[in-house]
Amino acid sequence: MRNLHAGGFPEEAVRERARRGPAALFPPDADYGATVTGAGAEPTAGTGYPADDPLEGARLVPPVFMPERLEKLIDLGREPLFADVDLRTDIGGFASALPLYVSAFGSTQVGSGLALAAAGQAGRLGVPMVIGENVAPVSGYRADASVLRRLEAYEAQVPDGVGGVVVQQSTEDADAEVWNQVYSDPAVTRLVESGRLGFELKVGQGGKPGLGGMTMVGDDAGGRLADRYDVSASLGGEGGLCLRSSSPGTFTEEILHQQIRFMRNNFPRARVWAKLPPGRDIAQVVRVAWAAGADSVTVDGAEGGTGWAPSVFLSRVGLPLGECLRRIGSPGGCLLVSGRMWEAGRAVVALALGARAVGLGRAALVAVDEDSEQGLVRLVEALAMEARLLVSALGRYSTAALSPDDVLLPGTADAPAATVLSEP
Amino acid sequence: MHEEHDRAAGPDTPVIPPLGEHLTSPRTRNAMLVQQEVLAAAREHLRGEGFTELLPPLTGPVTDPGGRGAKQLDVDFYGHRYKLMTSAILYKQVSLNAFPKLFYVAPNVRAEPPETASTGRHLFEFHQIDVEIAGADRNGAMAVAADLLVHVVRRVVENLPDILRALGRDPVFFQELLRGGWERRSHAEVVETLTGMGHAQDGGSEIDWEGEALVSHKADRPFFVTDYPKGSRGFYDREDPERPGTLRNFDLLAHGGYGELVSGGERRSDHRSIVIGIRESGENPRKYDWYLEEVRRGIPSSAGFGMGLERVTRYLTGLDSLWQVSAYPKLPGVVTP
Repeated sequence: MRNLHAGGFPEEAVRERARRGPAALFPPDADYGATVTGAGAEPTAGTGYPADDPLEGARLVPPVFMPERLEKLIDLGREPLFADVDLRTDIGGFASALPLYVSAFGSTQVGSGLALAAAGQAGRLGVPMVIGENVAPVSGYRADASVLRRLEAYEAQVPDGVGGVVVQQSTEDADAEVWNQVYSDPAVTRLVESGRLGFELKVGQGGKPGLGGMTMVGDDAGGRLADRYDVSASLGGEGGLCLRSSSPGTFTEEILHQQIRFMRNNFPRARVWAKLPPGRDIAQVVRVAWAAGADSVTVDGAEGGTGWAPSVFLSRVGLPLGECLRRIGSPGGCLLVSGRMWEAGRAVVALALGARAVGLGRAALVAVDEDSEQGLVRLVEALAMEARLLVSALGRYSTAALSPDDVLLPGTADAPAATVLSEP
Repeated sequence: MHEEHDRAAGPDTPVIPPLGEHLTSPRTRNAMLVQQEVLAAAREHLRGEGFTELLPPLTGPVTDPGGRGAKQLDVDFYGHRYKLMTSAILYKQVSLNAFPKLFYVAPNVRAEPPETASTGRHLFEFHQIDVEIAGADRNGAMAVAADLLVHVVRRVVENLPDILRALGRDPVFFQELLRGGWERRSHAEVVETLTGMGHAQDGGSEIDWEGEALVSHKADRPFFVTDYPKGSRGFYDREDPERPGTLRNFDLLAHGGYGELVSGGERRSDHRSIVIGIRESGENPRKYDWYLEEVRRGIPSSAGFGMGLERVTRYLTGLDSLWQVSAYPKLPGVVTP
């Protein structure tokens, strides 16, 4: 029955909710397990980029005079080229071949299916990798594609002396004691002894700041998980799936401080990371985390990807990553960032604005989906070459040498205008 | 040679002989006679002080979350996920209304990290003399722990001189202990001492095993370490209201490099502070619902401690490692019967 028309009003969206109820808050059930999403899914016409993402509007602005290039020339005894850019860095206590790491994929169907392929390739690249929360309580610690298998796939390919694996734990994982299990597992001894195991406290994520992990599960799995998670009755969607929600966790300054202290106390041989959502108090939160002794703090911008989130969180909730970086300013410790990273333009801007490294999430999944043997390796090789080109163009030869001066943010074109130079 | 043992725990992990050989060795027999004397002396002393002995639970919906990376073990309780007790601290607290001075000789299981197999001080299965005192403060619990240890040591030295001699233990080792006057040092002081000795000890964490052995080597009698930083212990340890960030707890460290024998402190007993403590240790209070329900109904303030039975026995016998003072030893990460 359609007798009414409401021009200029989001009529179709209202009709969808009228048909589907709460199920309409999420993407269609059929997309679950086959898509990953994130803020700004609808690019501004003509630019290909969302309008409210300062990092995408930023430009890298090389100078002409480059004293650092002269230093490099003296050092090398020849003109330096882009291949002379050293991309190696320390990421949260791990030596890394490149200023990037593979972000956490959680327990959604997407993350689980491709995670093993990504783990092996991340190891081969010698870059750190994060294993997402909720994997163990949902799949079982030793199950296919679960925590232990991902650790093994990574370790089998990682060269000596680089990389590291970081395991997240949510409140529900704490119930399953994922960190204790990993830390006391003889299979992980080699990583522990070589200082390449870390644990990440997940405070939140960019795709759904203020919410816990969410996945869709069938009725049978829902029953199995109901003692640890909130599993709603079917939302009335098409596939008969139930929404499984983790608690978002309650944090105050003291709780965050103590949780990090607790991690350091309990796992003295593991690195301690914290992953934060793009909250408006982000500058204060990163300071608390570093002061408590976190080896690294990750800020996941509002552009961060997710396997499953209510649509309104993607369009309206959280600070864009560029704004997070602006609020944090000069970082007081190792700062990692994620959200829509896949090529070097955005990555180098983020590094220049204070990040130590960038996380590949959706990009890594798409790359291994494209080619499960080589996809991520090739994507990263391309990104690395692009980064060397950009960094060298700025007259820098390491990512640590980048500075906010290398970036022109949208709306801040306040470079010293031509003051009249006195004639010689 | 006993190559059948799983050596995943590392090259320094001791090799335990086959069980039959271990049980029939004179050394094991002597150690068990010492342990038996320790248990009899502890029971005699505590009952004489008005304590009631209860037998502790072995399983429950939750157990002591503890710390230092040890994993709890799951048990399927008719379809419900239960835990083997890592310690029965929560049960001690809720028993105090009925038994204001109580103790257990409690078997505990902790899947410690494999690296602890070579410390000489960790077992997968071990026992604690687990004491709790309603209305007591830290000083009260420390006094009970000191009196208990003195009584146990005196009785073993007096009653088992031949066995100690056979084990190569000279009773002179305990001379200063029996004189009393045990020192009390704060965690911060110990951190400073260790730093001065060139040992990197994090001021916000438990004293690490190596650090404990270092300070304990320098002493001629046991000593207390107090005021551990918040975040280094379970959520049930009470924070000092006068000094936020510091806990009203203690460890009793043996002299001679044997390290921690006793760990204890004042407990939190009010609902709000316990819930916050649980959250600060990263857990969902929901899993502790039975305990929190009892706390809401009211549990007394208390202080208490756990004294490691195998650790005290090792200290008395002077043997190298805890597995030598256990009849059925299981080292972390090492597959044995």
